[in-house]
Amino acid sequence: MVSLSKRRFLRLSGLAIADRLLPLRLCAQTPEPQDDGDLKIILVTFGGGVRYAETFAPEGVRNIPRLRALRPTGHFFKTCVNSGVLSHYNATSSIVTGNWQRVDDFGFDRAAGPTLFEYYRKAAGVAPTDAWAICTNKSFATMGAGRSRDFGEPFGANVVLPKQLLLEAVSGVIARAPAAGVADRTNVLRRLENILNAGYEGIGWTIFKGGRRLDRQVKEALTRSLVEYIHGPEAPNSGDELTFFVAREVMREFAPRLMLVNFWDMDVAHWGAYSLYLQAITKTDRLCGMLWDEIRANPSYKGRTLMLVLPELGRDGDSDTANGFLNHRSGDPSCRNVWMLALGAGAGKGETDRPIAHVDVCATAAELLGVKLGETAGRPIPELI
Amino acid sequence: MAKVSRKLQTLIDDGLFDRLPPTFAAYSFDRIEDWNKLFPAERNYFERLFGMLARSDAQAVARLFAPLRAVEAKMGVDRRTWSTREFTLEHVDFLQRNRHLAEWRKTIADIFGRIDPLLDVEVARSGRPRLVVVVSPSELPMGADRMWRRLQEKGKLVSLSLDASDAPEDYLARMFSGAPGAGRAAALFDRFGATRTQDAYGAWVVEAEDSLHRLAESIAGWTGLSYSRLADLREILMEQVNEMVTREQIPGPRQLGERLQRMNPGALNRAAGGDPALRDFLQSVLLNGNGTLLINNTFVEWAAVQAIRRARPALICVAFGIRNKVKPFSSLLIYSDQEETNPIPTQADMLGSYVDLEIFYEYIWRECEKYAEYRRNTAYLFVGEGMDALLAIGPADFPLLQADKPIRLEEVFEAAVQWLNI
Repeated sequence: MVSLSKRRFLRLSGLAIADRLLPLRLCAQTPEPQDDGDLKIILVTFGGGVRYAETFAPEGVRNIPRLRALRPTGHFFKTCVNSGVLSHYNATSSIVTGNWQRVDDFGFDRAAGPTLFEYYRKAAGVAPTDAWAICTNKSFATMGAGRSRDFGEPFGANVVLPKQLLLEAVSGVIARAPAAGVADRTNVLRRLENILNAGYEGIGWTIFKGGRRLDRQVKEALTRSLVEYIHGPEAPNSGDELTFFVAREVMREFAPRLMLVNFWDMDVAHWGAYSLYLQAITKTDRLCGMLWDEIRANPSYKGRTLMLVLPELGRDGDSDTANGFLNHRSGDPSCRNVWMLALGAGAGKGETDRPIAHVDVCATAAELLGVKLGETAGRPIPELI
Repeated sequence: MAKVSRKLQTLIDDGLFDRLPPTFAAYSFDRIEDWNKLFPAERNYFERLFGMLARSDAQAVARLFAPLRAVEAKMGVDRRTWSTREFTLEHVDFLQRNRHLAEWRKTIADIFGRIDPLLDVEVARSGRPRLVVVVSPSELPMGADRMWRRLQEKGKLVSLSLDASDAPEDYLARMFSGAPGAGRAAALFDRFGATRTQDAYGAWVVEAEDSLHRLAESIAGWTGLSYSRLADLREILMEQVNEMVTREQIPGPRQLGERLQRMNPGALNRAAGGDPALRDFLQSVLLNGNGTLLINNTFVEWAAVQAIRRARPALICVAFGIRNKVKPFSSLLIYSDQEETNPIPTQADMLGSYVDLEIFYEYIWRECEKYAEYRRNTAYLFVGEGMDALLAIGPADFPLLQADKPIRLEEVFEAAVQWLNI
């Protein structure tokens, strides 16, 4: 799937995807051309929960050939500590707000304070197209803005949930004609609708209330196109692949200065199949590599982009009673201590032993964007400033 | 609360729980609330735990719990905000979201780190030989040298003498019952049940298919769980969960978890043979939110680990299978049957299963070694069906560890019988 050229995708899907991802009111605004000196920041959550043991530990690097190869070209922070709540939403929300968030684990509440997107957009007065969050996790609809009255959605990021769209597309496939070859389609569709918002995490689910809701017409058109896409010869296999695809489209069409890309497939570990977890890690590694390739090839990003890659949380250690890699709630070091790789503009080359924290990412990015934050737990990381 | 043992009720009446820190007391009450759903090993543990706290010097107990009381104060927990007689979802939520959660967890762990060794001494005094047998399916594309790599250095590869004339389908029968042909001789777990009649839940069989179940002479005296034989129950549970989510508009995972605990399908009760402890066990294993409803080996591993943790069987026989390849988009269809929803032909995932099982062998071994009942007196046999070697781990006096030449499958059975004294 991911090797598709844009032209081929457009031909297959029959639409210009990026144009239609946006609410119509946003589409009406032409993005401002960027000054050459503007640093762009892409935050990538190597997400879904991954342990050191399967990534940068000696026995794990075979699972991440792209990041392993990129490590010497950037700055590697050996320990990045998540001291907050070990759920995907809270962990990621802590990264983008600079404060440890303790809100609903499944995105029913917004972050307690403003996000980096809001600070940036309000301070810089930039167009809505300049801050995006492309998230595989379906409960991240509210990731683009917190609940602070002085900020909020008017200054938030555009949030796209490709997996949500994919779900709708798959529903469409199953509801389709007998040609789909699916027995008892009505029943299956009902089930699908029931679990439409289910995450891998237990049988947790969230109701997608739209966040920054896509225009209905746009959404329907996109869904139709994705159904066609799924039937195409190079069908994607997961939400993360589609997330990459959409993120790349957004970069090409709008070249935002600030973007969060949330991968999540490796949370399949909850199913209890270690091999599927490893496969998901390797896939995410590949997608991170491709994102970096895009940065280096895209004139809007080349030479002036800092990409920060970090897992939002780890997973339980093998000796933990919570059944090791399956879960991520024990709070043991395997769950809290991960890493961060900084690549590109300003990152330099090197390694840091001193622990940094997830909340430092927001403070660092804000400093680089020239944005003043309110009170935050995080501190700028000197090696990147 | 269901009636607890007289011993424990006396401690409750004497106000033991009122003297404990609220979070510890509430959690403890929650654990013993459904007394009839606890296995004998669990009941025994709680009686010993609270008995020890009751008879210990009051000042020593106060010192033990002082750090927890300090953390509770920081968390905002006191007897006005926390009932010590129930542990609700709100309590869980409060703890999970509290900024002192990590400290609280560590403090609890430290408390048990001091209590459990004392309790373990009592357990160790009444220790006896135990046996864990883990069988891998014959379809795995690896030889014995590449199996059990995470554990090989802990034990010994024991060569097996296989004759070309031996029927491959008799491999497990000969190893588990000492004779070819299923059901012709009592299997290990049959013998255990017949010998140790007082030891309810002392022998378990947990498997993906039913090849071990088919070896049984009788269904009495041992506890058996087969993923394939539970197919109807799994289907019913999946349908009911979906119904629940659809019709009741359950707002979130916490509420769903609570509803799942209250589910009471007749099929679950039938599958458990009307046994409340086993029914509760099955319900928690199948509805824990992980892949136990969907992936055979996940069910086997999780059920085995839970059986070890809760029932502490002296004999547990675990048999994994081959899981199917996950079809594209299956990650989106958590509670749907892949066979129904996806027209792509189902394929067995041999290599994926091999990778999955490598870590599961270790997890089962690790789980046993956490408990005093198993440490230093448990023999482990890791068996690949059809293979000419097995991995044996255990105390030096376990007979197979002395083997210096290939042994017959029947000798494995005899060694197990001798070890367990059944």
